[in-house]
Amino acid sequence: MTRVFVFTNHKGGVGKSTSATNIALGMVQLLRRANAANPRVLIIDTDSQGHASLVTTGRKDYGADDSLYTVLMADRTNAPQTLLNCIIQSQWDTDLHILPASPMLEGAERELMGVAGAPYRLADPVSKIANQYAAIIIDTRPSFSLLTEMALLAATDAIVPVEPRYLETVGLTSVIEKINDIREGWRHPTLRVSGLLVTKMDSRIRGHNHLLAEVKAHPVLGKLLLGVIPANEAVSYAHSSHQSLFTYNPVASASKAYMQVVASLVRYLAKGGD
Amino acid sequence: MARLNHDTQRMDDLLASVTSDLLNDLPQNLNGNAIHVERILLEMVRPDPVQPRRVLPESIHLRFHQNQITPTQAMRELVQIVQIAARHRGRPFNNLLELLPNADDERDDEPAVNLTPEEVFLRDLVNLAITIRDDGQVNPLTVVDVSQGVTRLFRIETGERRYWATWLLRDFIPNYTGDGMIPCIIIPANRSSVFRQAKENTARSGLTAVALARQAALLLLTVHSYEIPAYAVENDFYRQALELDLRGKREYTDVVLSAMGGMGKMQFSQYKALLKLSDEALELADRYSIEEYRLRPVLAVPAEYHTEIMRQIIDFNLSAKQVKELCDSGNADQDDDDVRKDISPSAMKIAKVAQSTQVTSAQELARAIMLQEGDSAVAKARLQALRKLITEAERYLGAE
Repeated sequence: MTRVFVFTNHKGGVGKSTSATNIALGMVQLLRRANAANPRVLIIDTDSQGHASLVTTGRKDYGADDSLYTVLMADRTNAPQTLLNCIIQSQWDTDLHILPASPMLEGAERELMGVAGAPYRLADPVSKIANQYAAIIIDTRPSFSLLTEMALLAATDAIVPVEPRYLETVGLTSVIEKINDIREGWRHPTLRVSGLLVTKMDSRIRGHNHLLAEVKAHPVLGKLLLGVIPANEAVSYAHSSHQSLFTYNPVASASKAYMQVVASLVRYLAKGGD
Repeated sequence: MARLNHDTQRMDDLLASVTSDLLNDLPQNLNGNAIHVERILLEMVRPDPVQPRRVLPESIHLRFHQNQITPTQAMRELVQIVQIAARHRGRPFNNLLELLPNADDERDDEPAVNLTPEEVFLRDLVNLAITIRDDGQVNPLTVVDVSQGVTRLFRIETGERRYWATWLLRDFIPNYTGDGMIPCIIIPANRSSVFRQAKENTARSGLTAVALARQAALLLLTVHSYEIPAYAVENDFYRQALELDLRGKREYTDVVLSAMGGMGKMQFSQYKALLKLSDEALELADRYSIEEYRLRPVLAVPAEYHTEIMRQIIDFNLSAKQVKELCDSGNADQDDDDVRKDISPSAMKIAKVAQSTQVTSAQELARAIMLQEGDSAVAKARLQALRKLITEAERYLGAE
């Protein structure tokens, strides 16, 4: 069964899109290096700002005919075919594919309100093409909305990127509770929180070290800790040049940290998600 | 360039830093390049355009593979063709389920209905669809992964009828509860071959002589390094094989003949020769499953008569001997000049006209005679005279 990872946190600027895109590319490259028969990874960008689409494809002007919006609005029977038609190849790697976001997603939630089965409009078509990919990664918007709910219903694993700041970690438990609500409320037992990704960690700041230590010591959060990504200038420079972090600077500390996370996730895939 | 190589090296180093332990306990489910079964979205599966065994009528087959019609439209056109054929034979139907035999309505004293090949095909397809609906698809399709880039595509190696039955079930038959997926055995592209497909084809019963002829051609073209296209081809593509044989490719002789079901060289050549038939004759022979031995004599007559002879074979269910006699008589009047000299040109013309009664209608003939004579009474008189002539000619034939 193909694992579908959703990167979610209702706080903005925590590195959801950066983590989703770079981890996706890292997976492709690592799977290919491991001679995997299928190294393809799909990114689904559900954030109307389209940052993941922009950095991986060089554009974000996707519209009613070629984006996630198209899939959500498609007739239920045709949705899988529409999804296949809207997937494009990234500029980063031939095996990294993108279902781009569109600014029109802003209005999609309003349009879908009251439509029967609306929360499953992403999960249904994704489930039918999932086995074509080694993994699927969903980038979400920084709020808890219908689109985030759709993303969680389509996912098997939630990964929560979080900055090591006091208020962030306070909000962390509410994010996890929301995910648990989706699992219980929508009877989606295969969804689980599979990782906590600490981003923008600056070891020179005493508060960051203190909070990281607290997370590690926490009986639940400590076990979920997937990796710690150091704050790194290379990230923003990579973004501005529409390159992956690995391409921009493979020896940057953030690149090394992300690659460790990728290795953990590939190992997780290899074990069938156990 | 130096910078690029340097970056590539650094990226390799980064990947190497995390792969050493990963590669040791390498996940079997990641690197398996083996044959495996998966459920695949129906839209991602396509029949093989050069599959020698035709499932759909030729016109629909070509337009479907030229992407002029969707699978749903292809099925709709097939249903319409069968509806027209059935209506002409006085058994119209509106619902596909009406095609299925109803045990309650069957009576022993009623004569068996002669269904057209299209009716038989659609009825069998509906039957298969109902089986899939009620019992699930037990036997997966065999497909080859021919995906390129973001285009995910699987080409059917075996199971094209099941594929069409599933479309029929999804779009035309009530109470479909499936999810639009179809179970498939996926064969990696590098393990697919025309020999394998040929073995699958020849192992099944009901493979027509024309399908075998196309199959022979495909194998010959392959061993002679012709490129097999990935789009629909017309009969001329297969006819290229008429100029080829196995003599120059002795190393392939055994594998080709084995893929053809273990037939001998002579039989292989006889099947291949069927490609000399005209396009229309090939389609009729394929649709009505005419055997090779009944088609063989037709090859001796000029191509413009193939269709007419084929219609005679179908309409009168001629045996191989009768076909041979029919074809020989056609040749005889070409060869025997002495006899020909004794017969008047008018008689020859009437005899020729007798060969084309299948391609015109009574109404057309009546209109033609009216046009010629300009008066209905004279036209009737002409027809009566013709009838008298034919009756007497029949008497002479009886006496001979």
